[in-house]
Amino acid sequence: MVETILKVENLNVELGREKVIEDLSFDLAEKEILVILGPNGAGKSVLLRTLLGLHPFKGEINWTPKNIHLGYVPDDFDAPPDLPLNVKEFFYFKRINLPEILSALQWVGIKNPSKFLGKRLGTLSRGQLRRVVIAWVLVDRPKVILLDEPMAGIDIHGRESIYNSLVETWQEQNQAIILVSHEIGEVVKKADKILALNKRKLFYGKPEEVITSQNLAKIYGGAISL
Amino acid sequence: MAAQFLYSLITGIFIGGVAGYLGSLMITKRMALVGDALGHVALPGVALALIYGFSVSLGAFPALILGITLIWLFEMRTKLPMEALTGIVFTASVAIAFLFLPEEKVFTALIGDISQVGFWDTLVSVILCIFAFLVLRKIFSKIILANLSENLAKVEHIKVERYNFIYLVCIAIVVALGIKVTGSLLMGALVITPAAAARNFSRSLSQYSYGALLIGSLCCVLGILALEFFTLPAGPLTVLVASLIFLISLIFKKI
Repeated sequence: MVETILKVENLNVELGREKVIEDLSFDLAEKEILVILGPNGAGKSVLLRTLLGLHPFKGEINWTPKNIHLGYVPDDFDAPPDLPLNVKEFFYFKRINLPEILSALQWVGIKNPSKFLGKRLGTLSRGQLRRVVIAWVLVDRPKVILLDEPMAGIDIHGRESIYNSLVETWQEQNQAIILVSHEIGEVVKKADKILALNKRKLFYGKPEEVITSQNLAKIYGGAISL
Repeated sequence: MAAQFLYSLITGIFIGGVAGYLGSLMITKRMALVGDALGHVALPGVALALIYGFSVSLGAFPALILGITLIWLFEMRTKLPMEALTGIVFTASVAIAFLFLPEEKVFTALIGDISQVGFWDTLVSVILCIFAFLVLRKIFSKIILANLSENLAKVEHIKVERYNFIYLVCIAIVVALGIKVTGSLLMGALVITPAAAARNFSRSLSQYSYGALLIGSLCCVLGILALEFFTLPAGPLTVLVASLIFLISLIFKKI
């Protein structure tokens, strides 16, 4: 029997005096991939941060169990080029041992990870840095991983390989994933459920049921097909 | 005389080291000039200490706590940038200090005088330096992570506000101690310059932070030794040694 690990009911979030999320309800089962779609400024990132307990809200957000181990890949992670922090030291922040670091780097498709350890975060390309952050979040095996625009600024090839390795790892480790994206693409194909958002819920369900050109027009305001 | 020299040297080694270590964190957080500004904020306390003949660090510390609290309160109330508010508090502090700082004490207040520290002053300084270093070492990685992404740090159960507060208290302690060596005017150099030089030598975070610690200690040792030979004030000499090491580090700078 599949258990529900997250239940969101009548969620309302205000930032300043502006309503960012209105009356939203959905849930997440274990091992499920939920993709949250919506245009820029739709409240997707705010939703993710609210689920993580970073914003005040009205309504219900119930994780089961309450202290479930969450991992978060933020969209604003940036390493200044003048900070001499290398990949290995970054992982040591979590008190993780070397074999675990190496396997986490392999999960995200980094070949030859032992050579990679001495590289400084600030010298990595955007795609590499994104992989490292994802590996850093995965390394202590959270039960649920929340990713905010993990493919932003990464080319098509890179996206596919990051996403494929992510799904592989997920299948091995039985993690649930909530992934935010402002565009449809690879991510939608492997999703179990899609939640389209523009302050309010636009549509919610299995991709084969909800990804219709009529529905996509609700998000992007024009005819798009996948 | 020999004991006095030894006290100065020991005090300098510990203060220089912890100031350098702290500096590597402050440069990362883009707060390098805060050390400089706080050196000035401490001035009224330093003035009182010099008038009544107690340790300048003891005078500086409450002045710093008061100054930091005011900056923090102003920021909550006005949402003006921290640097502007720091500017207001530090210039006001300097103005207040000069209302009652006796003329013959100006030199000591501004550029320090490590040559007069006694046994107890040395002992307390060493204990405080070790304490500040251990605390900073414990919070170092958490502050760096919060600096990379505050939200990520919070999700990893790091109490960012609490660590920032502890970090500020450590800055107050280190600045209060550093004023002994370089005075209010030059305190900033003790946190900025050794760390900036170490940054040029280092390829990892630990090389950076511990390199800054070593360079900080070395600058103070050389500054105090130079005081013995040239009978020039140790504060400016320490700062010049640090500047020289920074210039040398440029050769090693790798992108």
